[in-house]
Amino acid sequence: MRTSALALAAVLAAMPAAAQERAAGLRPNATSAEAGFWAVMDKAEAEAKTRADLNTDPALNAYVRGVMCKAAAAHCPDLRVYVMDRPFMNASMAPNGYSEVWSGLLLRANDEAELAYVLGHEVSHFTESHTIEAHRAQKTRANVVLAATVVVAVAGAASAASAGTASEAQSIMDATGNTIDLIYYAQMASFFRFSREQEGEADLLGQRKLAEAGYDPAAAAESWRGLTAETKGSDFKRVRESETRISVFSSHPLGAQRIAALETQAGTLTAGGDRGRDRHRAAIRPHLGAWLRDDLRKRDFGQTLVVIDRLAADGEDLGVLNYYRGEAYRMRRGDGDLAKARDAYLAAAAQPDAPVAVWRELGDIRRRDGDLAGARTAYDNYLAKAPQAEDAWLVQDSLSSLDQGK
Amino acid sequence: MRTIFRALGPLAACLALAACATVTSAPAGAMKVGDAYEVALGREWSDISNIMNGRTKKVRLLSIDGPLLNRLYLSDGLEPGEYLIKPAAKETPTPVIRKDMSASERLEFVADSVVALEYQRVQLVRPRPAKLGQGNGVRFDLTAQTKSGLDVKGTGVISEQGGKTYVLLYLAPAEHYFDANLAEVEAILGSARLG
Repeated sequence: MRTSALALAAVLAAMPAAAQERAAGLRPNATSAEAGFWAVMDKAEAEAKTRADLNTDPALNAYVRGVMCKAAAAHCPDLRVYVMDRPFMNASMAPNGYSEVWSGLLLRANDEAELAYVLGHEVSHFTESHTIEAHRAQKTRANVVLAATVVVAVAGAASAASAGTASEAQSIMDATGNTIDLIYYAQMASFFRFSREQEGEADLLGQRKLAEAGYDPAAAAESWRGLTAETKGSDFKRVRESETRISVFSSHPLGAQRIAALETQAGTLTAGGDRGRDRHRAAIRPHLGAWLRDDLRKRDFGQTLVVIDRLAADGEDLGVLNYYRGEAYRMRRGDGDLAKARDAYLAAAAQPDAPVAVWRELGDIRRRDGDLAGARTAYDNYLAKAPQAEDAWLVQDSLSSLDQGK
Repeated sequence: MRTIFRALGPLAACLALAACATVTSAPAGAMKVGDAYEVALGREWSDISNIMNGRTKKVRLLSIDGPLLNRLYLSDGLEPGEYLIKPAAKETPTPVIRKDMSASERLEFVADSVVALEYQRVQLVRPRPAKLGQGNGVRFDLTAQTKSGLDVKGTGVISEQGGKTYVLLYLAPAEHYFDANLAEVEAILGSARLG
């Protein structure tokens, strides 16, 4: 407790003098620097609306916006929330009120309270105008990036001009175009990088917003602890040994001190409160399969398994979750992983919500094990449950080869 | 100073790319892919292998109008542990060929490789029996989107023969470009001769 108190004191001491919270509904003067930032982010927001990974499920968007509004309170009308299907723990809040909430965060939040905490953290960056402060400090960097963009464009154009054919010129322009996009993306990311002090401040303000909205303030520290556990579960030594960051844009580690400060502040806030676990699971349930598939495609299967373990802790959605647990082991193929995959598929198959693909995978894995009778039963089950599946002929082919002793 | 280096890193890489990358002609007629097989091109393509992201020695990349408008991947026989798209870092691996892949895993290999190229919403559809040369394979179609939301279509074939996996994959925007060269691509897929 003494350590926690010291941690809170250290974070509070490092925080800048309490700034005036921006007034709800405030818009910048058209001639101000802030108006320029707004214009840039208005453009980014317009692009977000056409992105391929924009999630357009109205029920999910309404849920996330509702949670954001609980955390933002009077600032709710200033904010616009976009759910993006991206398998990384991330939420962002631009100075113009444009906010992105990524599916990786929704998948990792144990309940509505944990989601509300992260959104409250982001709302705090908005209400305290952290982006404006941070961007003023990064002005030099932005100028360097802009200069680099121009030089790259010129280099690309010069190479294209000397190319032998039209398609060659186009190819070079395309290649450099991708590089420009990368630089532009890095510049956008700089809008969401904050100082260590700003992150600590947003942690504590976000937790207060959480409590004021009627949620359990303990969810704050639990949210960050879940994230650190995932880092430790990575398949890659370099990731395991790195310090956890709270988002893909974050430049400061999530140290034990920040978690301790949240635990200490929780003691000063009303204990208990709403967790909203069922509401959260109901909102994300239709997307569990697609989001877990996206997560698997990152190919850090150890981290995905940590996420699945958290989702499965309360015994819900076990058909889907065990299927994707099996997929993680099958795709990783480390020592003993195929046996674990088989066990996970079997556990999934016993559940009413098991995806039909469980039986195809069971057939394949039993065939590898030399359990031909088991493989045949699994393939038969797949064909019985999904006779119209596009790959039914492939499974039938596998069955036939079993019959032929291949 | 570190910030400046970080910002200028992509610039340096790009300048190096512009200086060294070469795009060559792939004229109409027979084109050898690695040691194993050849295909017949019905028209001139550009061989843009040297400027492709995640380039590997065993994969040739052809285009007509530029890689964002049409691209045709032609892999030599991939052995276990090899990939269609080379990973940028150990911590961001891309799909690899395994020696005991099932038919559905081979299709997963294709779809996840396209994801590794940063296409979104990748769906592999209509798997169907096919021949690649004299061997059996699986034909498939594919739908995806670019990051900015442009619809993309694809088609291709994957075949495992003699312990090696061969992939031919065509990707192009759904609007105009995919259909514009589909007949040429179909002819190329049908022309593959192994061994």
